[in-house]
Amino acid sequence: MAKHQLHLRDIILLALIGIIFGIIYFAAGFIYNGLTILLTPIGYGPMANDLTMGIWCMAGPLAGFLLRMPGAAFLGEFFGAVVEMLLGDQWGAVNLISGAVQGIGAELGFTFTLYKIYNWLTLLISSLTLTIVTFGWDWFRNGYSHFSGQMLIIMLIARFISIFVFSGIIVRLIVNMLQRAHLIKR
Amino acid sequence: MNPSLKLFTVLFISLELTFTSKLWANIIIIIGCLILLIHAGFRWQQFCWLVLVPLFPAIAIFITIVLFSPSHSLFYGLVLFSRLYMYVSLGTVFTFTTNPLALARSLEQNCHLPSKYAYGVLAALNLMTKMKQAVITIRAAGQMRGVVLHWWSPTLYFKAILVALQWSDQLAQAMESHGFVEGQARTSTINIPLTVYDWLITITLIVVIQIIIIALP
Repeated sequence: MAKHQLHLRDIILLALIGIIFGIIYFAAGFIYNGLTILLTPIGYGPMANDLTMGIWCMAGPLAGFLLRMPGAAFLGEFFGAVVEMLLGDQWGAVNLISGAVQGIGAELGFTFTLYKIYNWLTLLISSLTLTIVTFGWDWFRNGYSHFSGQMLIIMLIARFISIFVFSGIIVRLIVNMLQRAHLIKR
Repeated sequence: MNPSLKLFTVLFISLELTFTSKLWANIIIIIGCLILLIHAGFRWQQFCWLVLVPLFPAIAIFITIVLFSPSHSLFYGLVLFSRLYMYVSLGTVFTFTTNPLALARSLEQNCHLPSKYAYGVLAALNLMTKMKQAVITIRAAGQMRGVVLHWWSPTLYFKAILVALQWSDQLAQAMESHGFVEGQARTSTINIPLTVYDWLITITLIVVIQIIIIALP
């Protein structure tokens, strides 16, 4: 069979990773509401979304690093959304759209490095593509087009920092541990 | 209604209303969803949850648009407020009335999704409670050694991924030893029908929503 194809084991693994992140995010859910309450009085309520964006996007880059094949990052992120939907998460089916958007953002980072380079550069590019793609989606979904230019720039920077910290630095630390344990395929 | 078509309808409506800013379409869909939910036997505790979940983000967006955006538009504030509730009520209708197993079967039979995806995700889903327990165990094991594993701690994820690697190996082996072969033609015990009636409902719903979107602000 072709080398660049996901097998049953990989699919189960990707779905399990989606579940792990789903479980651990749940513990972090209060941060989003807390930030929203804190930021609304100064007119930056929607920025809670940007500040926590990185947390929701960790599964994609991690899956990309773990399986190292085209589609892994997308499916890792997307399966997380599928699992959340099937478990009866309130955001439900719309999660699938957000999951797909985040998946595309994460996948693009690996596409631009042609699935050959797996280091900090990949994570940086992946963070950039994630920032741009998810911001584009929020432009329509959360009505970002109505905000002032200055606010948009601040929110874009906040989003990039969040994605770089969580989906970049923390993912890199997890990947380092997995590499030391010789669990990542060469 | 056929689960795949239902999913398609929900996604189509959500996407379309994301790219159009219409207030009445959102409100009518929310009311329609509530009627469907009452009909399906939704409990009042679940209704409270449905109202609470999007409340903070919805209020935050409303206040930001009306008070802090350059346009100060009350209309767009209301559109975005109702849009979040539209997403949540559509999503709830879908998850509340659809069985994951039926959805996986329908996607495999009606949409020709490769069976490895349909059953791989479903198999993992059944490990959900065990995975939750595993995360709790990892945390407890850390605490016994005086190590607190926070949700941002890479070690927590690393250990959970070790569990996932092992389980995915074992589960795939178990499925294959029970005769699951990737890409092989399968027979099905339960057929999910895709009838003319399903198509009619889908098309009617989409047409009605187009009319609402065009006719009302």
